[in-house]
Amino acid sequence: MHISKLTLINYRNFKNTSLRFHKGVNTIIGENGSGKSNILRAIRLLLDDTMVRAAYRLEESDFSRSLGQWQGHWIIISVEFEEISTDESVQALFLHGAAVLDEPTVRKATYNLIFRPKKEIRSKFAALNVWDEDELAQIRSTITINDYETIFTGRSEADFSDPKVYKELVGDFELCDFSSKTEFPEIGSKVPGFLSVTKEVSLTFIQALRDVVAEFHNNRTNPLLTLLKSKSGQINPASMEPITEMVRELNTSIEDLEDVQSVRNHIRETIKDAAGETYSPASLSIKSDLPEEADKLFQSLRLFVGESEEGYEGAIHELSLGGANLIYLTLKLLEFKYQREKMAMANFLLIEEPEAHIHTHIQKTLFDRIAYSDAQIIYTTHSTHISEVSNVSNVNILGRHGALCEAYQPANGLEPAQINCIQRYLDAVRSNLLFAKSVILVEGDVEEILIPILVKQVLGVSVDELGISVINIRSTGFKNVAVLFHNLRIRKRCAIVTDLDQAFFDITIQATDTDAMTKRKTKAAGSQKAGLERQADLTAFTARNPWLETFYAKHTFEVDFVAAGNHEAVVQTLPEVYKDDDTRELAKQQLQSGHLSKMGSRTLTMAKQEGKGWFALLLAEYITPEVQIPGYILQAIHFAHGTFPLPLLARVFQYRAECRFGSNPVDPSMKKAFLYDVDRFVHGHIDLETLNASIDLMLPGDAVNDFLAEMQ
Amino acid sequence: MFTWDPKDLNPEQAAAVIEPSSIFLIACPGSGKTRTLTYKIAYELSRRTDKRIVVAITYTHRAADEIQERIEDLGVDTSGLWIGTIHAFCLEWILKPYGIYSSDLAQGYRVIDTHDRERLLERLCAPYKGVTHWDCDYYVTETGYQLGCPDSRKHPTIRQVLTAYFDELSSNRQIDFELILWHAYTLVRERAHIAVLLSRVFSHILVDEYQDTKQIQYSLVTSILRAGCGQTKTLIVGDPNQAIYGTLGGYAMPVEEFRTRAGIPIKELALSLNYRSSNRIINYFSNYKVHETSINGAGKHATFPSQVTYNQDATRSDVHDEIVRLIQASLSDGNTPENICVLAPQWVLLASTTRKLVAMLPDQQFDGPGLVPFSNNIDNFWFKLSKILLTESSPRLLIRRMRWASDVIKDLDSFGVDTTRLTPRALLRESNALTIDETDGLRYLDQAFTDLLKRLDISQHVFPALSTHREAFFSSSAARIERLQKDGADYINHVSFFKKVFRERTGITVSTIHGVKGAEFDVVIAFGLLEGMVPHFNDPNGHIAANKLLYVLSSRARKHLHLISEKGRSRGRYGEYGPTESLTACRFDYDPH
Repeated sequence: MHISKLTLINYRNFKNTSLRFHKGVNTIIGENGSGKSNILRAIRLLLDDTMVRAAYRLEESDFSRSLGQWQGHWIIISVEFEEISTDESVQALFLHGAAVLDEPTVRKATYNLIFRPKKEIRSKFAALNVWDEDELAQIRSTITINDYETIFTGRSEADFSDPKVYKELVGDFELCDFSSKTEFPEIGSKVPGFLSVTKEVSLTFIQALRDVVAEFHNNRTNPLLTLLKSKSGQINPASMEPITEMVRELNTSIEDLEDVQSVRNHIRETIKDAAGETYSPASLSIKSDLPEEADKLFQSLRLFVGESEEGYEGAIHELSLGGANLIYLTLKLLEFKYQREKMAMANFLLIEEPEAHIHTHIQKTLFDRIAYSDAQIIYTTHSTHISEVSNVSNVNILGRHGALCEAYQPANGLEPAQINCIQRYLDAVRSNLLFAKSVILVEGDVEEILIPILVKQVLGVSVDELGISVINIRSTGFKNVAVLFHNLRIRKRCAIVTDLDQAFFDITIQATDTDAMTKRKTKAAGSQKAGLERQADLTAFTARNPWLETFYAKHTFEVDFVAAGNHEAVVQTLPEVYKDDDTRELAKQQLQSGHLSKMGSRTLTMAKQEGKGWFALLLAEYITPEVQIPGYILQAIHFAHGTFPLPLLARVFQYRAECRFGSNPVDPSMKKAFLYDVDRFVHGHIDLETLNASIDLMLPGDAVNDFLAEMQ
Repeated sequence: MFTWDPKDLNPEQAAAVIEPSSIFLIACPGSGKTRTLTYKIAYELSRRTDKRIVVAITYTHRAADEIQERIEDLGVDTSGLWIGTIHAFCLEWILKPYGIYSSDLAQGYRVIDTHDRERLLERLCAPYKGVTHWDCDYYVTETGYQLGCPDSRKHPTIRQVLTAYFDELSSNRQIDFELILWHAYTLVRERAHIAVLLSRVFSHILVDEYQDTKQIQYSLVTSILRAGCGQTKTLIVGDPNQAIYGTLGGYAMPVEEFRTRAGIPIKELALSLNYRSSNRIINYFSNYKVHETSINGAGKHATFPSQVTYNQDATRSDVHDEIVRLIQASLSDGNTPENICVLAPQWVLLASTTRKLVAMLPDQQFDGPGLVPFSNNIDNFWFKLSKILLTESSPRLLIRRMRWASDVIKDLDSFGVDTTRLTPRALLRESNALTIDETDGLRYLDQAFTDLLKRLDISQHVFPALSTHREAFFSSSAARIERLQKDGADYINHVSFFKKVFRERTGITVSTIHGVKGAEFDVVIAFGLLEGMVPHFNDPNGHIAANKLLYVLSSRARKHLHLISEKGRSRGRYGEYGPTESLTACRFDYDPH
């Protein structure tokens, strides 16, 4: 179950706004002051246990200022839930209070906070005659916030965001037109007393700039203790018994220490000396008080984390702020998992500006992977860097129009294919150059779009996980940006990937050549010359700079891509590029001809026709794990990333094994044997060379061989 | 996990408690039915692994409170328990959450109490001769309503009155207790999802006193069980021999019929050991069985030499002398007043007799549900508050008063009062701190209400519901006191009498046969056992009805049973009442009286 829609009426800076959410990670993007915090606050008023009081005490200032005179108006915060199931017992009580029964199957539940005038006032409005404006003004002038009530309702069917519906329920203050009714079934049923929604769901709110180290030190808020507490209750008394016994022994041993005993005796003697036998306490001892109960013992457990690779593990307060935040978030996610076992109806994680907590890269990986947990995550951000993490369908953009704020859903109403394109483009135009661990600069959209996909498909890890940002310079003017990477400035590695533009066909002009042919050859010769000049320039530029290196496509990306043996991927795109069967057939023959001049020309023709960037998006659909990454790109990756640590390498090998054997369970022993070798490799029992032999045997001709070859 | 001492339950009871499937349990009198039900609920609550709720439907609020208290005393967490009457169940679980789907309820509704109902019917009956609101009892069925009035000659007039009654209720958006059932039934019938959702919410539905349950109530319960496809389990418990509410629609549904309607497997079990009565008493009331059930004496009184007497010689004018003689004999025999009970079939007979008993036995206290001096509308907010204001703070009452306090707070909350800082403890503290110098019961309560609101800083006029409830409470209480005083209970308005109501029962019980359901006494004295009263002269199944009444009243006794069919009660132009025929037909070796 997840929140699918949030509607705010007259709440703070939202007069009438709806946001849509999906399962998993959702982003709310908006500039400062666009009401991001108010959105999270509205959700919390409904679902956060710690906000129940606030929900019953809304104030004048909670009314949208655009109303002018708020007296008589309602505030409505309405949440819609989807993916509900009458078969799940954890949801049963909630559905009993909130499910909408207007359809053959129960699919939707609604839950609303309504802040409205009490019945007494509503009855006065209901009794008004149309146009009786003086009387209306009179009634409104007497209304104070104490005349308002908060009710929570479920199973409402009204679309509160429809101004017509609002006028039917609340009334039209301009025309002084009010319904004669005071109760409206459309707003739903009051939530039954047996159901406390805030107790049924688990919601965690992570405020911007919260001090997690302090939270770790507080026994009440320490997420580790929460986790341990839920486990300590389940401990088998039998397995606890020997530990308790040891604690008892330990206590006795400490008490029996000679020094302890002598201190005790000294105290007694001194008291006796000071107060005399009569007034001294009858007995006195020093006891060691290590707790014997599981839950108390567990409180002495602390988390130690090694942040860097030297094998030192420090306490939380020794971690960097980002590191501590990461641990905090991770423990919170685990808490959700435990709560799931404890039957929380749904888990919600609201994060205010995660950029304030953790590094962009970690966020990406973290949010990317959260998909498997049962939590719906909604976070607000004013940074476009993070927006890409979330699927564009899961984004709400807040915009400001004077005092009012509105929400937009950029993917609303688009076909899945269109959304995919937009998604890739958004992924591509990011510019987090300065935060990146390492950078690959590329000259155009094609590389920017395809390199991350190639890496993900072939190596099974994303460039984000590798800490590499692929930055599009949109020209060959690399030097302007690359100048940042220098011993004096940013000491991170930057690989430049560019084309050498060497001709891939014979450019010797023949007497028999047509004009067009001659023109083409001349142009290619020009490009080739320019390429060599650029090479000379960049070589001089990067010389003696350990942070910079250039990697060249011999020809251009597309040509080198097919040259690497990937022409079949291009063949796949034919039906979408050409409508005409004959052309398709001809192009196919050329692509499969094995002659680079024919293959390259056709690929470039296709790219030109579609537009290079759009062709790359098209091609991206057909990049599979079987594709070969052109060598120069592999080199660039190796340079930028530096040495691959063993566990990461192992992940790559495991991924390749999965690609190779996963779909073909004919010989599970092969896979097992190979994974066993990988495991030995990770633990340092065998070296890479030995593993290489195994790879040669098990994964002959696999893409990973090229990857390894470029590593040396 | 909740466990019990093997001494607490006999094998039959324990079998019912731990039985994992649904059960249809026939329990003979004194067989520990309530105990079994209590342990069953406690057992299922303690085994709860999810958030599903155990629902128990009892015949009265009193029974619900009692069972809830017993479970709390067993140390079991009752947060997963809902217990109450069928009416409360329908309101809480069907009308409140799903009422928006009923065109009659969607715009809001109010449940009227018995007092409002009587006043309205009185007014509507006024134009007609020979029909009073007493005749207008009705009960709803799946297809309409049935009249409770046994006199079919009055039926056309009653139907006219009721038509006007329903019209008036509906135009005021009001419903009475029977209409609660009707609307709940209609909603469940028309919206199939409701039964499905409820079956997911409830792990168990337990029904007490099934023999007095109406068809429409079975219908509600079985639709939920059917929708649950066996996921929601049930326990139906009762005794078909004690079905004495036939005229109000009570029906002891046979297990086969119930099983078919619920569509789930249900096991049939019985509690056949009577721990209450002597073998002689058991032998006696077994004569009145209308359903074959087995009963075996197993209690400490099993071999007690019981006196079972039947007196047909007493007359209307000296019957109270005879009752006083029996009471005094029992008292000097060592029986405590709390263990003596005087029964009659109708209130009319009891009213005058009670007055005489009070005069003739000035040292004894008498107690009966009919002697409550104020409105006993248990849903009235001020009635709930009265419970707290008329009881003293004592450790023994603490749990009960805490529960009353949380009920009061819940009501305040639903009226819109901000109760976030009001805890049950705080409410009790404020109530205990009141000092009121007033001897008239109603004035005492009025003052207490006002003072308490002030202490809690709640202004009544802001919350209209408080005012409506208060008005209803006082007007119906005043009417009640007036009636009781007219019957001769002139002491009844005194606050000391008010305070007795919620105290533990003391003194000799005086009650109708219907009013002692579930109770037991060492000595039972019953009079007015006259054909035309037992059974009622218009009961179409008179013989069976009489047997059931005699079965119920005789099985209340632990040690001694004294039956009286007094002579000389006038029956207008029909002469005099004669003794109940079922009684005279019974061959039994009575003790001399």
